[in-house]
Amino acid sequence: MNCPRLKDWLDERYDWEGIKKLAKSKLIPEHRYDLWYYTGGITLFLFILQFMTGMLMALYYVPHIDFAHKSIIEIVTKLNMGWFFRSLHHWGSQLCVAFLFIHLFGTLLLKSYRKPREMVWVTGFILLGISIFFGLSGYLLLWDERAFAATRVATGGAGAFPVIGWFIKAFLRGSMDVTGDTLLRFYAFHVAILPIITLCLVGLHLILVQYHGMSVPLSLEKEKPREAPFFPNVFYKDLMIWLVVMGVLVTLTVLLPPEINPKADPLAPPPENIKPEWYFLFLLETLKLFPGEILGLNGETIAILLVAGAILFFFLIPFFDRKSSRGEKSPLFTWIGVIYLLYFLTMTAVGYLS
Amino acid sequence: MRRIEIVEHCLKRSLLSRRRWLLSPVLVLLMNTATSWAADKIVKIDVFPPTPYDGYIIYESLAVFWLFIIGLIVIIRMKLREIERIQELGVENEDKDAPMLR
Repeated sequence: MNCPRLKDWLDERYDWEGIKKLAKSKLIPEHRYDLWYYTGGITLFLFILQFMTGMLMALYYVPHIDFAHKSIIEIVTKLNMGWFFRSLHHWGSQLCVAFLFIHLFGTLLLKSYRKPREMVWVTGFILLGISIFFGLSGYLLLWDERAFAATRVATGGAGAFPVIGWFIKAFLRGSMDVTGDTLLRFYAFHVAILPIITLCLVGLHLILVQYHGMSVPLSLEKEKPREAPFFPNVFYKDLMIWLVVMGVLVTLTVLLPPEINPKADPLAPPPENIKPEWYFLFLLETLKLFPGEILGLNGETIAILLVAGAILFFFLIPFFDRKSSRGEKSPLFTWIGVIYLLYFLTMTAVGYLS
Repeated sequence: MRRIEIVEHCLKRSLLSRRRWLLSPVLVLLMNTATSWAADKIVKIDVFPPTPYDGYIIYESLAVFWLFIIGLIVIIRMKLREIERIQELGVENEDKDAPMLR
């Protein structure tokens, strides 16, 4: 595209040529593991899509227990392309969390978190937590019997956390049980509070990535580095991958639109074989492993404490892994990463198939 | 059971009355099927346009969308190869000793 007048207009005001030079001077390392780096770009792309489809649905959604379920049905059945955008939002969230996990484990196994990039890991990890909370809060907005029961279980589970559990449960629910207050709270989290935090954290994450530059795996650090300019080389590759992801997303959207179950009834018994979203399955299966009581203590509380401890250790890995900070190989943390990954995959598969 | 009795009374003189033992289970089966079908109809919400015409248009659009994506990828790939070829030639590099044209 050649628009000399627009180019001149921009150049007179914003040093357009300077910006282009800056983009071309940004170099990205090229090696055999660089495919893992594209998962971060894919996640960013999916985040943007989620914001756009979410804004479209927020125009028609009514966050009230009497109208929430009905408004979703109207979006799906009466609005032009409403079913498509709702399904796109659903599958976008599933893929977004999946790619976040891939990005996380890729970063862990390539040791990209090592000094001086600890804060990149920290911001990314918090973003994963926020995305999961996005999923939980968005699921309740449907206000159907499954979403209601799943939220009751999830918020009840948070209540089993010692000392501050009651506060977390009350803060999430807004009342004694999952009610209209919970729906309104989750709506506020989903459309206002979490998006603002996400925007700030994504911005910080990207600034840190730009500041530190892309990391090179330890095993390849001594090799002669090959580098390519971010613009246009890496940008065009990103664009091609985004197009493929978009195609997969639209295919899932069309072929597997998510169902809408009957409206939630707080007095009705929970539906049979209820399961949370796939990224909570490993947690649920872990809780099932523990008996109701261990040495006179509540088994669920012990299980939640152990899981919280394991997640905290995972979060702090960059600060524990001193060897890779010094540029030495650290097979112990590679094995820890592999064990975490295998446990997550196995428990998710067991939860899905059971 | 009251309904079954009424139907049995009506069919007393028909051929089916000889096979009364068969009538009750068949009726029960038919009623169960009908009620479960009706229950499914009430609960099920269409999350995809139900008419075959709309379905056909959507699947056709999906195929066209994939063709569009593949076409775009081919164009970007060609463009990228051209850029890499120029970069390898070093044509883009700025010549610091080049004389200024006035």
